Amino acid sequence: MLHSKSFVKKTRGGKVTKVVREHYLRDDIYCGASICKVCDPSVARLSASASTILILDTNVVLNQIDLLENPAIDDVVLLSIVLEEVKNKNLSVYNRVRSICSNSLRKFFVFSNEHHKDTYVKEMDGESKNDRNDRAIRVATQWYQTHLGGATRVLLLTNDRENKRKANEEGISAETVETYVKSLGRPDLLDLLVQNASGDVGMEDVEDLRPSKRKILYTEHKPMSEITSGLHRGIYHQGKLRVNRYNPFEAYVGSESIGDEIIIYGRTNMNRAFDGDIVAVELLPQDQWHEEKSLSIADEEDEEEEGVHLVPGSADDAPRTTGQLQGSSGETAPVSFRPSGRVVGIIKRNWHSYCGSLEPMPKPAGSGGIAHALFVSKDRRIPKIRIQTRQLENLLDKRIVVAVDSWDRLSRYPSGHYIRTIGEIGDRDTETEVVLIENDINSRPFSSQVLACLPPLPWSVSPEDLTNPIRQDLRHLRVFSVDPPGCKDIDDALHCTSLPNGNFEVGVHIADVTNFVQPGTPLDEEATQRGTSVYLVERRIDMLPKPLTEDICSLRADVERLAFSVIWEMTPEAEIISTRYTKSVIKSCAAMSYIEAQAKMDDSRLMDPLTTDLRNMNTLAKIMRLRRIERGAITLASAEVKFQIDTETHDPLDIGMYQIREANQMVEEFMLAANVSVSEKILKHFPLCSLLRRHPIPTREMLQPLLLTAAAVGLNLDVSSSKALADSLDRAVGDDPYFNKLIRILATRCMTQAVYFCSGDLSPPEYHHYGLATPIYTHFTSPIRRYADVIVHRLLAASLGIYKLPVIFQDRPQLTSIADNLNYRHRNAQMASRASVELHTLIYFRKRPTDTEARIVKIRSNGFIVFLPKFGIEGPVYLTQRGENGGGEWFVDEQQQKIKKMDGSLSYSVLQAVRIHLEVVEPQPNRPKLHLSLL
Amino acid sequence: MRGLQLPLNQTQKVRLQRALEKLESLSSKANSNASVTIADSIPVNAEDSLLKGHGTTVLNDEVLATTCGIIERVNKLVYVRSLRARYKPEVGDTIVGRIIEVAPKRWKVEINSGQDAVLMLSSMTLPDGIQRRRTAVDELNMRSIFSENDVICAEVRGFQHDGLQLQARSRKFGKLEKGQLLTISPYLVKRRKQHFHHLEQYGVDLVVGCNGFIWVGEHIEPTDDIFEGQVHKPEQHTTENDEDSSSLEGQEQSYTPLETRQNICRIANAIRILSTLGFNITVDVIVEIVNLSSSLNLDVHEMLGPEFHVLVAEKEAVQRSLTKKKI
Amino acid sequence: MEYVSPEGLRLDGRRPMEMRQIRGEIGAVAKADGSAVFEMGNTKVIAAVYGPREVQNRSQQMNDQALVRCEYSMANFSTGDRMRKPKGDRRSTEISLVIRQTMEACIMTHLMPRSQIDIFVQVLQADGGTRSACINAATLALADAGIPMRDLVTSCSSGYLNSTALLDLNYVEDSAGGPDVTVGFLPKLDKVTLLQMDAKLPLDIFENVMQLAIEGCKAVANYIRELLLENTKQLEYRRGV
Repeated sequence: MLHSKSFVKKTRGGKVTKVVREHYLRDDIYCGASICKVCDPSVARLSASASTILILDTNVVLNQIDLLENPAIDDVVLLSIVLEEVKNKNLSVYNRVRSICSNSLRKFFVFSNEHHKDTYVKEMDGESKNDRNDRAIRVATQWYQTHLGGATRVLLLTNDRENKRKANEEGISAETVETYVKSLGRPDLLDLLVQNASGDVGMEDVEDLRPSKRKILYTEHKPMSEITSGLHRGIYHQGKLRVNRYNPFEAYVGSESIGDEIIIYGRTNMNRAFDGDIVAVELLPQDQWHEEKSLSIADEEDEEEEGVHLVPGSADDAPRTTGQLQGSSGETAPVSFRPSGRVVGIIKRNWHSYCGSLEPMPKPAGSGGIAHALFVSKDRRIPKIRIQTRQLENLLDKRIVVAVDSWDRLSRYPSGHYIRTIGEIGDRDTETEVVLIENDINSRPFSSQVLACLPPLPWSVSPEDLTNPIRQDLRHLRVFSVDPPGCKDIDDALHCTSLPNGNFEVGVHIADVTNFVQPGTPLDEEATQRGTSVYLVERRIDMLPKPLTEDICSLRADVERLAFSVIWEMTPEAEIISTRYTKSVIKSCAAMSYIEAQAKMDDSRLMDPLTTDLRNMNTLAKIMRLRRIERGAITLASAEVKFQIDTETHDPLDIGMYQIREANQMVEEFMLAANVSVSEKILKHFPLCSLLRRHPIPTREMLQPLLLTAAAVGLNLDVSSSKALADSLDRAVGDDPYFNKLIRILATRCMTQAVYFCSGDLSPPEYHHYGLATPIYTHFTSPIRRYADVIVHRLLAASLGIYKLPVIFQDRPQLTSIADNLNYRHRNAQMASRASVELHTLIYFRKRPTDTEARIVKIRSNGFIVFLPKFGIEGPVYLTQRGENGGGEWFVDEQQQKIKKMDGSLSYSVLQAVRIHLEVVEPQPNRPKLHLSLL
Repeated sequence: MRGLQLPLNQTQKVRLQRALEKLESLSSKANSNASVTIADSIPVNAEDSLLKGHGTTVLNDEVLATTCGIIERVNKLVYVRSLRARYKPEVGDTIVGRIIEVAPKRWKVEINSGQDAVLMLSSMTLPDGIQRRRTAVDELNMRSIFSENDVICAEVRGFQHDGLQLQARSRKFGKLEKGQLLTISPYLVKRRKQHFHHLEQYGVDLVVGCNGFIWVGEHIEPTDDIFEGQVHKPEQHTTENDEDSSSLEGQEQSYTPLETRQNICRIANAIRILSTLGFNITVDVIVEIVNLSSSLNLDVHEMLGPEFHVLVAEKEAVQRSLTKKKI
Repeated sequence: MEYVSPEGLRLDGRRPMEMRQIRGEIGAVAKADGSAVFEMGNTKVIAAVYGPREVQNRSQQMNDQALVRCEYSMANFSTGDRMRKPKGDRRSTEISLVIRQTMEACIMTHLMPRSQIDIFVQVLQADGGTRSACINAATLALADAGIPMRDLVTSCSSGYLNSTALLDLNYVEDSAGGPDVTVGFLPKLDKVTLLQMDAKLPLDIFENVMQLAIEGCKAVANYIRELLLENTKQLEYRRGV
């Protein structure tokens, strides 16, 4: 069965190395066609009724993946050589092809031609690798033709003219994708086709539309060999290009070789690079390093302007203001200007599909003809994309998804193709869908395989659960839960009983999700992928299927539920004497909202046991909180808002700040304590493979904007340690009540977010959680909505010896990748929530122009950024009209953070309160946005 | 299969193959399933009081081979006759060996076995042939009898506590000179009555040691004077110091006619061929090969060429088929 | 990195449970008492056995058993980049020890007191699984030297990549950083004499991986057995009566 074939393969690296690899050729690789009599029918994927079997060339897979994902294309044979080439050229396309192949509904068959004894081809002398692969594809096609003996048509789809010609010469039927798709008679499929510049249809007719642009706009990308050698010699620098979210004409490349960020200004210097591309950058001469421009809000050539946004929650979401600190400190030393550069080549593209809409244009007279349109992405970092469509009139007022195909030197914008329509612009569902797509959130219903993992409903605690020795029966305890009103996924509950010795027994009971989510099941895999539940204003996208989220796991009142409990014995001074962890069965006696719990505690007439428990806990929590603050925990603040949603229309009725009560803090305190206890336990048992959460210490540079603002209002903040910062934040009490909160909000947004990590990847000092001032921390208390907690539950169970440690924990790289995915999902979930809030804010103000109070948080050269505490949004206020460079009229005092009118009649300083008018304007049809103006 | 390291051309390969196949067909069929490899079980009917000999071990009432070889049964004894292995000494074997060390009252002899053998001064017939106690002087003169790297011929006397003892109590044993020592695998040598051969037509002595060492040398008459000469020489050295005469005499003595020397080489090469082909070493076969080479007018060195190997193999095949028919 | 394609083929076209092609040749070194070349795919190893012979260093001589020594080395040309390999580095010392212990366990040393057996193995071509190939070559060479052994030791490696147990890793798979289990096995006695792994693997998976390696060992043993039997027959019939 084994045929051995050794061959000299290639040279690697700088040195010339002869690589000899074995290559076994087999006779047990089957064709996958059900009609075939010779081959093993059990592996057949292609339908028996298929009139045509398609074999794809590499360029077809690479470019036409959107077409392939359409179910109209079926009975396809993918050759392993094609897959390999695709994998080397574009991994994301490869993954998409692979997922089509593994989809049981699609009839895609992978034929390992490279290992089949009849279809393997040996590289001939003087033959390039590409030619050899093309030949391999033709040989395999030929093999299929003879193997199936004319029972069905075998068609090679290729967009390579040369390959097609040779195939025809060899008697293989070959067509281009276009001809094939046209023969199917489905015009909607034609839009999915990529108009490949190198293919049969050129870009000529596109360019005809804009004859003036027919000139070279961008410099040519350097060939890869030159880039490699340039990187080697240190002329070029490699890094990931990140476009400024708030200014698409400014990008940063974090370069390891320089150890600093290189700033790239303007599209010309960015040279067709997209956000996320790995690029090679050449530094510009120092005299061309740009003066600070970021102080100005308006852009040099942009037709857009900075919009109104939600207040960033942390440094990760905040607009980049790199220039600011340099501007202030760099007056004497011009050297401290950031190095600027330009992109000379793109090492790896980060193209994917983008959501957005077409730029408004007159509807064409006739229908069905090919029209060209410009696509504007929702993500401002993405340039406009030129597409061709045959259904322009349908698409003009729609949100659509578009993929980028190419960007050549002659065109100002990249060209792409239409993938699908989401819905009408401005429609809430459509916009929500856009938010989800933009943040890569899977909102599809759970698959049947996933749902099959659920226990049968109605579910209740079984006698086996009660007799299970690992599970303690805690039903006799007075357990209760406190959550936001309307919360259905209750994953934590508490109890507190006084002990005879005067101490308290305090328990935190967390829904025992891992009892239902077994490792390795489809349910578990789905949850790993989703990572977290996503909370949008009007809807929730669950990590786990609804029966688990709202019923089986949810610790609702008056039903028996399985839990994982952390139980402490505490002194009245809230010192933990002992900690114990156990799986348990509980029966919650009350599911309260924060308001209810608060009301109970405040009502001095109530003396029932539950209220007593609540009060005891509150007392303990206060002590714990105080102690935590003494340790240096920072009380951060965010401008969270709460919508009141119309139950019928789902439109927002009212908007208000989220109020934090003592009850919230009480629950939070015990959750923190449980998390800390659990993190200690798991780290002790699994020092190398625990999933922990850390909050990096913010660097001085990150805190610089805060310090600057504080200094301007005469406040001296000590940021030497979290303790010092916390103390000075406490001291920062201004004359108005909101001042302290404002400072805290500013402080919060300077910090990065806490992240999950695998304990083996970092050294113990790096585990530190800055914000909470604990040496280690993890997430244990919300397994229904966070996958991290599920992992921690499993770790804790394993550390107690209840269950075996699942296999993935042995594999650190895999755990690291899970942690990375969780971080990514959490960020996306947050971004999506914010985007959802922004969307609803817009909907809310559409009918309600409002006057409100605002605070100035940042001074710019032609205006300032204001923060609207009541609505949790911030946005720019212009003092000068756009277009005129108001440099003459206003000037900025850097030191004092003030903007003054030249004649001195008016001045605005940071943190000052101003009155603002708020309304929704539509500068372009279907593009509503919030506009702020000074009253 | 043990590959022959010979530069054969295609036809030679085929011919050799054919000859070897013929040999295989000639070998008795009964023998073919008598070969075992390590850990193969040796079929025994649960015969009581079976003696398990060399190359066997017992595991769970199963007799297993511990070496590769042929099962041999002699009455109640079952053993595995291993082929390629070092020499296993048996009392009375004639062996050829090389002195590697001169120790007090003994010589250490390399004999291609697991251990070096010992030849006691006392187990050695003195050059003068007189039976007497060995004196201290004899001990001092041991090097004059055998010194390091000398090739000797002896007989296995037996085993004593720390090793194998040899003896050389006859005129035919002793030092071997003016010839070649060949090393072959011991399994190719069969134990016979006669291990000393005088090939008169070539004027050559052939000593086939059971241990796989084979001596091919100029024929020497086992006369007393040789021994005397050997013994007297050192005395001459010590007493007279007549350098010129002794060296002349030495030269004369060490002179071997060219023809004899060629014959020695021819015979040695014949043995080499047999060893390479893995054929049994007997005097008759050796002589046949030598005759064959002479009749073909081959130079000595040409004997080691591939063509001659093939010829020998073919001849052997014919020979064996003849003997088989006779039986 | 995808080491097993969804179609169930490895990078070189084998299926997970398949070994590379193996080939053995007895008698590669004329002067040695026993010698062999063993190939597992592109891994090629030569082994030579000298002895039993007189102990070279008298102080090491043992009165009740034979002394077994082993020296492992890698030829300079054995890998793609021609590097001068220092003799007696950590790796080769370790492998020498491993091979010596493995072979010593099956040689009936008590039958050859006061003698010494030297095993020399050299890697001529390295493509993963050199340890296994060395043990297999050494077994062949020892059998060729007619040294009595309890059983044939055979060896094979297996690994665990992409959640699949793979038999007989080649260099690319070996350097993937996954667990690599090398098993030395006595087929007749059904015993494991060598078990090495330098990674963590959960117990249940480990058992599967080890079992796979044992199956590999058995396959090698069958091949070696045939080879030896054929060799013995040849020697016997050529020798004549």
